Amino acid sequence: MLKKKILVVDDDAGLTRMLKRNLEATGKYEVREENAGARALSAAKEFIPNLILLDVMMPGIDGGSVAAQIGDDAALKHTPVVFLTAIVRKEEVGPEGSSIAGRTFLAKPVRLEDLTACIERELGKR
Amino acid sequence: MYPGGRRAVLSVMAIVACMTGFGVAVYASGGTAFAWVHLMYIPIIVSGALFRLPGGVVSALAAGTILGPFMPLSVSSGIPQETANWVLRTGFFLVVGVVNGFLFNSLSAHFRKLRTAHDELVQAHEELRNAQFRLIQAAKLESVGRLAAGIAHEVKNPLATIQLGVDFLSKTFRDNREMREVAEDMDNAVKRADTVIKGLLDFSRAEKLDLTVTDLNGVIEDALLLVRHELEKKKITVEKNLDRTIPTAEADRGKIEQVFINLFMNAVHAMGEGGLLVVKTYAMRSGRNSAPTAAGKGGDRGGSLIVAEVNDSGTGIPEEKLDKVFDPFFTTKGVGQGTGLGLSVSRKILELHRASIDIRNRKEGGVSVVVMLPQGKEGFDAEEKNFGRR
Repeated sequence: MLKKKILVVDDDAGLTRMLKRNLEATGKYEVREENAGARALSAAKEFIPNLILLDVMMPGIDGGSVAAQIGDDAALKHTPVVFLTAIVRKEEVGPEGSSIAGRTFLAKPVRLEDLTACIERELGKR
Repeated sequence: MYPGGRRAVLSVMAIVACMTGFGVAVYASGGTAFAWVHLMYIPIIVSGALFRLPGGVVSALAAGTILGPFMPLSVSSGIPQETANWVLRTGFFLVVGVVNGFLFNSLSAHFRKLRTAHDELVQAHEELRNAQFRLIQAAKLESVGRLAAGIAHEVKNPLATIQLGVDFLSKTFRDNREMREVAEDMDNAVKRADTVIKGLLDFSRAEKLDLTVTDLNGVIEDALLLVRHELEKKKITVEKNLDRTIPTAEADRGKIEQVFINLFMNAVHAMGEGGLLVVKTYAMRSGRNSAPTAAGKGGDRGGSLIVAEVNDSGTGIPEEKLDKVFDPFFTTKGVGQGTGLGLSVSRKILELHRASIDIRNRKEGGVSVVVMLPQGKEGFDAEEKNFGRR
């Protein structure tokens, strides 16, 4: 089975490392980490992910701007973006995340099973 | 102010007894104890002081009348001028009675004005104290709210890493019982930390209201459903006495539900197995000047109120700690059982609704919490809505 490619963008290197380790351990995903928001677009162009997990509050450039850059890119504009962030709460988006104003949000901290359920749901929409 | 009832009767009896006594003394002495007449001024003055002008006039005339029988003696003893003296003396009595009555009338009016001014001052002082209290609380809440939101955000990121680390370890070592237990303990710790953060965020976000027409009974029923598991676990009996005729409130249903969940959970934690939780609702009218409650300083502005009472049969709150229960991070629960934010969040939510909350110990034991919400649109106007949505 072809592994789905996930790009994880978060300034917290410990978290991206843990996400990579957990997601790759499922055997279903190939994960690339990016800890600088400013480099997220170039990393995405290079990696061509099936889905992007994106933090919102990052130094330099915020997740919303990164998502806008990705949306403007012809090759990436259909790539689903899931905002994995501490600015929303599980009570607001549910443990497996949900859409707010057309964007998918997942609340930190997230359990692996909820994260994979969200990823699979978003990939299934394509 | 005139003495009333029993006191008035006793005063009149004492005055009449004095006058009669002095009169008898003068009469019995056959005029030799004439100086006793001057003592008549005492009951006249007292009467004027107690019953103002009417008291002064009546007592003066009474004094003259009492001394009337002395007159024939005076005439028969060959002192005709005593008749003129008697008229003159009764006139003096009247002058003293009238002047004294007027004086006490005037004094009484001044006294009433002073009393009104005093009452107004006391009320103004109380309002000032309440305003100061609200300002201090608002400043405290604002700074704690900002701090809380910052902390919550910063802690959630490392917590996310820990959560995923725990998930990874529990999968990797799923066959190792000891490692599995360690991972479970860590997982529970992450959940607890997440609950504390949820409380902090509730606290910092309480200022946004989504107002709808809300049936308080329905909110209470829903909140009870949500804590049903906890109530059943501790075999707590719930007695509902909900008045189905209470008016609706304009409120943020979700936030008011959160308030009642907090109150019910506090009651559950305060009660042992087999406790009794009594929930009542009713409507009441309230005047503008009704006393503010312990926490809801300024909550009630007059008009109709919807009241909900939550009474538990728990341990109660030590009296010296009652005024601290709304302080952020204050808790009487054991370590890990409470964040100390439930009641502060609840009060913040209720203040935004122009509602009040009051907590007191019950004589029968346990705690009684009274929540008062303004009816319908009474508690809100456009300006206040803006305040609520800042």
